[in-house]
Amino acid sequence: MTAQVRTRGAATGAGVLWNGGESGARGLVITNAHVVRGDRATIELSDGAVARARVVARDRKRDLAALEFEPGRAMAATVVRDSPPLRVGELVIAIGHPGGLVGAATLGIVQATESAREGRAPRWIRADVRLAPGFSGGPLADATGRLVGVNTMMQGNLALAVPAAAVEAWVRRSHAPVAP
Amino acid sequence: MSTVLQSLSTELADAVESAGRAVVAIHARRRIPASGVHWRPGVVVATNHTISRDENITATLPDGTTAPATLAGRDPGTDLAVLKLAGQKVSTASLRLDPSPKVGELVIALGRPGPSLTASWGVVSRVDGPWRTWQGAEIDSLLRLDLAIYDGFSGGPLIDGAGRVLGINTSALARGVPVTIPVATVERIVGELLEHGAIRRAYLGIGTQQVRVPESLARKLELKGDVALLVVSLEPGGPADRDGLLLGDVLLELGGAAVSDAADVLAKLGGEGVGKPLAARVIRGGQVKMLQLTPGERPTSRAA
Repeated sequence: MTAQVRTRGAATGAGVLWNGGESGARGLVITNAHVVRGDRATIELSDGAVARARVVARDRKRDLAALEFEPGRAMAATVVRDSPPLRVGELVIAIGHPGGLVGAATLGIVQATESAREGRAPRWIRADVRLAPGFSGGPLADATGRLVGVNTMMQGNLALAVPAAAVEAWVRRSHAPVAP
Repeated sequence: MSTVLQSLSTELADAVESAGRAVVAIHARRRIPASGVHWRPGVVVATNHTISRDENITATLPDGTTAPATLAGRDPGTDLAVLKLAGQKVSTASLRLDPSPKVGELVIALGRPGPSLTASWGVVSRVDGPWRTWQGAEIDSLLRLDLAIYDGFSGGPLIDGAGRVLGINTSALARGVPVTIPVATVERIVGELLEHGAIRRAYLGIGTQQVRVPESLARKLELKGDVALLVVSLEPGGPADRDGLLLGDVLLELGGAAVSDAADVLAKLGGEGVGKPLAARVIRGGQVKMLQLTPGERPTSRAA
């Protein structure tokens, strides 16, 4: 589910393969807004395929960006975990490309789950997992490989990820689904 | 393969959940609250350095409610404090006294810096025998951790993979390095604090520095070792000052044992030493001199 994102030839971060071009749709990679500064980027998928991508949506506040690309051959997209809710202590895996390394993984646990106050969804997933630059925009997955968040930044020793549900809502809102 | 990860994940989350039922937030300082562990029915253990006031202390319980807590005693030496929590339905921690933690054992540090629980994981990085804190308190075993410290770390429990408590975490005993005060020490201090409200700890009121005694002098005075302790500070009116020890004296023996390290002096003190004279052998002006030093009780003020 991980893609490497490069802008102007340099590896700048990771991305989540949101749509791998199944059923003829266009490919979509979600990453952090701070990973793609310009309008264009190159993505490399886990099977080695390289594609040129275009930024179709960006939200600097949430630090999210959506990249569209023409898939070579269809790849299975990310499976989002909608339920059950995350538990403190649960294992999480972050995948990214620190220093341009492909497919590096680091294991940690959920550090805190903010109690959803007044029905509002928590703003961040806090994980006790050590991230390096290059993990930005990449997936945070649970022990079964389902997406729980998009790794965004480190706060001290803590990794902050945008919850998958928030990413899903943002994609629905800001990125008009591309009809085949 | 995923089943192994899945079951580990579930077990870790289960351990956090069950142990977390005995972890409370302690509001006794400005800004971020610290953690505490419901150790025995009605008794919460926390860290001394995170309690900056003696009154108006409250605890946030695992169910999110807030209850008043009263300070039963504190011990700067071990950085432990004991609070009483009346009439609350909170689980008590399940303690693991045996077997002692092993180097490399997977452990989780829990905290509650507010209503919700936090966890960080890592391994026990060092296990060693008894040691003394810089204030002279004896800790039954050294437990150092390789894990990240977050807000609420101090006063929270270190738990094993089954959710059993291995001790109380603090960042204040080893220059910010995470250390766990083992269950045995916590039990001993809780007992004493509940009974007396404070830990009696003998002290002399001296600061010392290691010095090498010149060979010629050592031979002349027929000394056994060649390292002794130079008295470099003396608390005015403190026990050693009262008993005639002077700045610049070189302490050779205390209570019949050679001293070549500050720990040797602390070993002669302890809680029972208050008021019991100790024979001290010192070098003063090139001559050996015998003195009687009577340890006093270390003041329990926070700065002591």
